[in-house]
Amino acid sequence: MTSNIESQELKDRLNLIEHMIAEGRRTTESWGWTFVLWGVAYYVAIAWASLGHSTLAWPVTMVAAGILTGVLASRSTGGRPETTIGRAMMAIWTGMGTSTFALMMSLGMSGRLDSHYSVAIIGAMLGGANCTSSILLKWKMQFACAVVWWGSAVAACLTSDTVTSIVFLTAIFFCQIVFGIYGMISESRKHKLSAAGQGAFHA
Amino acid sequence: MPELPELNPVIHGKLRLALLSLLSGVEEAEFTWLRGKTGSTDGNLGAQLLKLEEAGYVAVEKKFVLRKPQTLYRMTDAGRQALTGYVLALRQLLGAAIEN
Repeated sequence: MTSNIESQELKDRLNLIEHMIAEGRRTTESWGWTFVLWGVAYYVAIAWASLGHSTLAWPVTMVAAGILTGVLASRSTGGRPETTIGRAMMAIWTGMGTSTFALMMSLGMSGRLDSHYSVAIIGAMLGGANCTSSILLKWKMQFACAVVWWGSAVAACLTSDTVTSIVFLTAIFFCQIVFGIYGMISESRKHKLSAAGQGAFHA
Repeated sequence: MPELPELNPVIHGKLRLALLSLLSGVEEAEFTWLRGKTGSTDGNLGAQLLKLEEAGYVAVEKKFVLRKPQTLYRMTDAGRQALTGYVLALRQLLGAAIEN
């Protein structure tokens, strides 16, 4: 009997260790909203550019979305610990965003940028970032998004203006808006589950 | 018969074990985050973190961010080794308990 109680106590300790390690790692995975925010930003930029302000629309919208992401991220992660995975994610998306912005701005200023180049560059960059992120997080759904972005990059090189636009708008809808909402829902479920299985610890 | 290992008494306390496990999964964490995750009171949490600090298992950094004080805790190499040793000892004891 005593042995059974001791054995249960030891198992409880092991479970506690596993639960707490997982809890710490799970903390920084609340990024679904950024996909939705950037999806909306792309739509705003496209709509604004279609009104004839294409030189202003993209840079202004992208810079505004970048600032908004920074402000909201610093608020939502306030007090949360830094993890290696979190820093890796930040590195991937910051690197991708900076590269895309620099390339698009340079091409835009040189007058060599058209809708095919734009979609091809954005599709390839987002495909690469989503692929890397999906491998790190072991998230198949995000890898599917990477494939869609790569597909849209290839389509932009091979198809007409109209088809390129339709492909781009569709990719934004599924890989930013739908995927972002799906991410937010699954994050909220994880937080509820984790809160339910958590009690106070005493010395 | 091989001798059974002893469990490290510094880590054996439930709250201290929870704290070390939490810190093993992150690079550094704020006092308020640790309090939220463990559901402990400020006084108890501070006392247990001090014991871990005295044992050399966690390192503390105090700084000001936007004029607000912030206390950050980080697991040391000694802390990581101690937690690994504790888990190994637990497994050995569990194996012995199952055999008996």
